[in-house]
Amino acid sequence: MALQKLARVEEIPPGRTKFFRLGSKTVILANWAGQIYALHGICPHRNNPLEGAILWGHLLDCPWHHFQYDVRNGENHFPRNVYPADLPRLQEQVRPLRTYPIEVKEGEVWVDLE
Amino acid sequence: MGKVARQVVEQAGIEVNVLLDKLVRAAGAEFTTFYYYTILRVNSIGFDGEGLKEIIEDARIEDRNHFKALTPRIYELGGALPRDIRGFADVAGCPDAYLPSNPRDMKAMLNVLVEAERCAVRTYTEICNMTFGKDHRTYDLALAILHEEVEHEAWFSEYLTEGPSGHFRRGTPGTSPYVRRFMSADIG
Repeated sequence: MALQKLARVEEIPPGRTKFFRLGSKTVILANWAGQIYALHGICPHRNNPLEGAILWGHLLDCPWHHFQYDVRNGENHFPRNVYPADLPRLQEQVRPLRTYPIEVKEGEVWVDLE
Repeated sequence: MGKVARQVVEQAGIEVNVLLDKLVRAAGAEFTTFYYYTILRVNSIGFDGEGLKEIIEDARIEDRNHFKALTPRIYELGGALPRDIRGFADVAGCPDAYLPSNPRDMKAMLNVLVEAERCAVRTYTEICNMTFGKDHRTYDLALAILHEEVEHEAWFSEYLTEGPSGHFRRGTPGTSPYVRRFMSADIG
């Protein structure tokens, strides 16, 4: 486990997100109800960056096509909840967003990007 | 393009190209939704579906109206619709509203409809937030569309028994009571 310091807690107030580019990696931190979550910064739908993504409750809303991901586990919520099962090619669009373990130590957010 | 029309928006602090991207995506979503709602409406048959059909028709036509109202503003600001309609569909700002696997499943159809409207509500809320107090014309347009999208959501939500919407039938299908004044080419 290789933890990397990304931010101070106060940089991500409840209901907000913050996007980071770390070399070739991108990460987005989201604060839902006082809990901070770390997710991969690229939307798996069309590989667009999640910079500027908005939180609607516990759902991270991609600014490009409004695909929504549960910050707790990265699962796609919308449009997976309405995409028809008989069009299997659509399932490729609604793959989950990778999540990363985090630790908050003395007001600092550390993320394991390995 | 309106040279000063764009300049005043830039000077108000808005990144016009970012705004244009949002407007083109919104227009794409309206256009594709009009297409998908046509399919949903055609399939709304039988005892439950017949009542739903009228509401889908209102939303379908009003979404087309939103496309028509957005387009002039895109060009005024120096933007353009994609030359290739396939590219336009790809940049549409909301997921496609596919007909459910079982078209007789009215609840599944209603979920498609209500989620599509919720995506639209989020889209225009963002545009309103971005333009409020800065780009008065785009704000006014986006707010008018938002009014109608909120009503659409409420109609479908009511069908899912999530609560009464206060909805009454439009006088004629797809009247667009809020957006109509932006459709200057359609007003006789």
